[in-house]
Amino acid sequence: MATGFLEPLLAAASSSAVAGGDWLAGVRERALRQLERDGLPGPRSEAWKYSSLRALGQRRFEPGDAAAATRNVDAGLLELAGVDAPRLVFVNGSFRADLSRLPSLPGVQLRTLSQELQEDPDRLRGFLDRPHADAADAFARLNTVLAADGPVIRVAAGSVVEPLVHLVNVGASASVDLAWQLRGIVEVGEGASLRLVEHHVGEAGHEHLGNSFSQIVLRAGARLDLLQVQDSPESANLVRRTEASLESDAHLELRSIEAGARWMRHDLAVELSGDRSRFVSRGVFALHGRQHADTRLDVRHTARDTSCDIVWRGVADQRSRGIFHGAIVVAAGADGADAQLSNKNLLLSDQAEINTQPVLEIHADEVKAAHGATVGQLDERALFYLRSRGLSRAEARSLLTLAFCRVAFDSITNAALREHIDAMMLERLPIREDETGQEPASP
Amino acid sequence: MATSMSNESDPLARHDREPASGEGNEQIIAAINRRYGAGFVTDIETDTLPPGLNEDVVRWISARKGEPGWMTEWRLKAYRHWLTMIPPEWAKLRIGPIDFQAISYFAAPKEGPKSLAEVDPKLLETYEKLGVPLHERARLAGVAVDAVFDSVSVGTTFRKELAEAGVIFCSMSEAVKEHPELVRAYLGSVVPSSDNYFAALNSAVFSDGSFVFIPKGVRCPMELSTYFRINAINTGQFERTLIVAEEGASVSYLEGCTAPMRDENQLHAAVVELVALDDADIKYSTVQNWYPGDENGLGGIYNFVTKRGDCRGARSKISWTQVETGSAITWKYPSCVLRGDDSVGEFHSVALTHHHQQADTGTKMIHIGRNTKSKIIAKGISAGRGQNSYRGLVKVEKGASGARNYTQCDSLLIGKKCGAHTFPYIEVKNPSAIVEHEATTSKISDDQLFYCRSRGIAEEDAVSLIVDGFCRQVFRELPMEFAVEAKKLLEVSLEGAVG
Repeated sequence: MATGFLEPLLAAASSSAVAGGDWLAGVRERALRQLERDGLPGPRSEAWKYSSLRALGQRRFEPGDAAAATRNVDAGLLELAGVDAPRLVFVNGSFRADLSRLPSLPGVQLRTLSQELQEDPDRLRGFLDRPHADAADAFARLNTVLAADGPVIRVAAGSVVEPLVHLVNVGASASVDLAWQLRGIVEVGEGASLRLVEHHVGEAGHEHLGNSFSQIVLRAGARLDLLQVQDSPESANLVRRTEASLESDAHLELRSIEAGARWMRHDLAVELSGDRSRFVSRGVFALHGRQHADTRLDVRHTARDTSCDIVWRGVADQRSRGIFHGAIVVAAGADGADAQLSNKNLLLSDQAEINTQPVLEIHADEVKAAHGATVGQLDERALFYLRSRGLSRAEARSLLTLAFCRVAFDSITNAALREHIDAMMLERLPIREDETGQEPASP
Repeated sequence: MATSMSNESDPLARHDREPASGEGNEQIIAAINRRYGAGFVTDIETDTLPPGLNEDVVRWISARKGEPGWMTEWRLKAYRHWLTMIPPEWAKLRIGPIDFQAISYFAAPKEGPKSLAEVDPKLLETYEKLGVPLHERARLAGVAVDAVFDSVSVGTTFRKELAEAGVIFCSMSEAVKEHPELVRAYLGSVVPSSDNYFAALNSAVFSDGSFVFIPKGVRCPMELSTYFRINAINTGQFERTLIVAEEGASVSYLEGCTAPMRDENQLHAAVVELVALDDADIKYSTVQNWYPGDENGLGGIYNFVTKRGDCRGARSKISWTQVETGSAITWKYPSCVLRGDDSVGEFHSVALTHHHQQADTGTKMIHIGRNTKSKIIAKGISAGRGQNSYRGLVKVEKGASGARNYTQCDSLLIGKKCGAHTFPYIEVKNPSAIVEHEATTSKISDDQLFYCRSRGIAEEDAVSLIVDGFCRQVFRELPMEFAVEAKKLLEVSLEGAVG
């Protein structure tokens, strides 16, 4: 049953012809039928336990943005300190050559999905035809049905790409509420390496729903450093999905900063399918106002001697709600797996809420696996120390909260970029006590 | 009502576990054997229900137990609600479909073996290892009709002593008749009859169970204990336990469970409710050793239990300790609702799965009152093809300022084909709460094993030693007698897991 939300989007799908081969039409048709059958996940869906889709399901968003190619976008939005070129810019789900900078780089192809669909759609097979059998993956299905553009980045075997590649996804304000889709593909060849920044920004105004889905494949011995900075305005509802698959000896280093958007869901699925592949991840969400952020991390170890090391921090202030789900699955036969996950959260307001769920599913015995999760407050003694050094209580709180978040980005070597993120986080941190002058009861 | 083989004893027998004492028991057995012989023929038609469940069955059970009208209505309401529910599927368990119409909800047991000589030697061997006294072995092995009589006699002996202290300890059926006001006030007040699928089923058809009431200011003079047993073939067991500790009262309650070996799966769906008023203290310990099925996964008990304690009063404390080694499937989450300010909830658990056993067990700690504290220590051991999951919820409500939780879940893997899983849920709505969760999963370290072996300890003994150390934190919480039993139970259950 298509709900109020899906109805206009699916109607648009059946009326639009998409480039690509017959296989693609078949894939889209299948996803469309699944969506029509299952709709959006309901209240009993475990994967959406803390992020109800009821309100969203009753909203209507117009499918796509016909004017995406010509919208004016504030150039300042596209800048990120310490990051220059190359840059690929997408506005409301469509590539904007006029805003992008694409110098020719040896060993790397910076293309777009629309381009590939026109010229050589068969190269996208294996990415776009990936099925989503679980009804909880409704947004991945929706993306498969509708997405017509997005970055396609391929690094040739053995190439080491020096410059930081900057991907910008802009949610530009339109005259109506819009829903747009973006499908990104990153393939790093054998022994190659790439550094990538995925940057989500937007303009305040009409609400939009951005549904962005990235697929990453790291071939044997490849390495990808991926930094995701999500700094969208309050008018943004973002559903993101990152699927990564690592072949033997591949290494994925992911840093994820979630600071913006009114309502945000990020599904992050990593499969360590090659022997000795390794996934390292640092992430943070810092929420205030009525923000809702739900990060769902699933790591599957299916090969031998694989490892993951995950540290995630969360801060929820005012009336916000932060959700973290971190599941590690070690499949039968994945001996030698070493999996560590830590999730610490600061709950700063009596109107805010933190839900955390670290999960271990272990089906092999030569395994070391551990996880930890905490929810708590700033250390009163540390606050006292800083106040005795002359800082106001609010300054002390901001400083300590920033230090708490920093674990997600303090290993970024690009100093300008790191300082930019520092400043961005500081802007989001607690100011409430300054405004009210209220002191909490001593512990 | 239909006919089938029968005797007089209650198949869903609850009997109190008597501390080992020799001769008296034999006389009792002799006495009950006589009574059994006499009652045999007349009872055939009335004591047994055919498989199947409908409103008439619920009414019949209620009438058979001579319950007042309100109790019958309460059961019927639960039954009607149960009809609208669907079995829970969220647990990480593979459960074949359960045909609720194929189960007899009040059946006399199949005639058991007449003497120890007829008992399966495998079972006797197990009791030998457990160090269960001989007369008790007979009882455990299902030698004909011991159950009801035992529970009555033991209950009576103790009851005098307990009555002097003001403690009520009797079966639930008696409590419904003799203390209806208490039962009415507390039954279903912690686990409502509509709580979940299996609790609703239990509310409709529960056959018996224990009722404990500790009045204000009384410290129960002895540890109360109950031994549960499933005897009959094709039956389900649905017992219901209610323990109420008034202001300042305290009690320690022990529960043991066994079942004979049978090829088919049997259903056990129990409900336990605990109520602790101001300053009351309830300690509930369980050693669950229902028949786990054989090494090929054939047979065994399906154990679906709803246990919940309500720390209703300020400074009250409820502590659950469980050692789960039996059952083909365990679905059990002893919980604490920390309503009273400064109340404390604890959960200590060892769950072992071997061969094809599956366990999905854990706890819920719901912090509602101020300065409430909870501690969770869960140890899971998986061997063979066993699947062991910890599933827990720690919830801090808005008003629960100063709430504190510490959770530790450790899993030990023994073998290549087993699984150990951890599914904790942490939900915090109060900014002054501190919640900590940590979990680890690993196999027995080769270094530890090597060290033990180099000291001349056989591999199997070394594993026992390490497992014992792994579980020490939980065993410490058990009353002495149970701790010894639990340790041996683990050794027996892990047999064949190594090498």
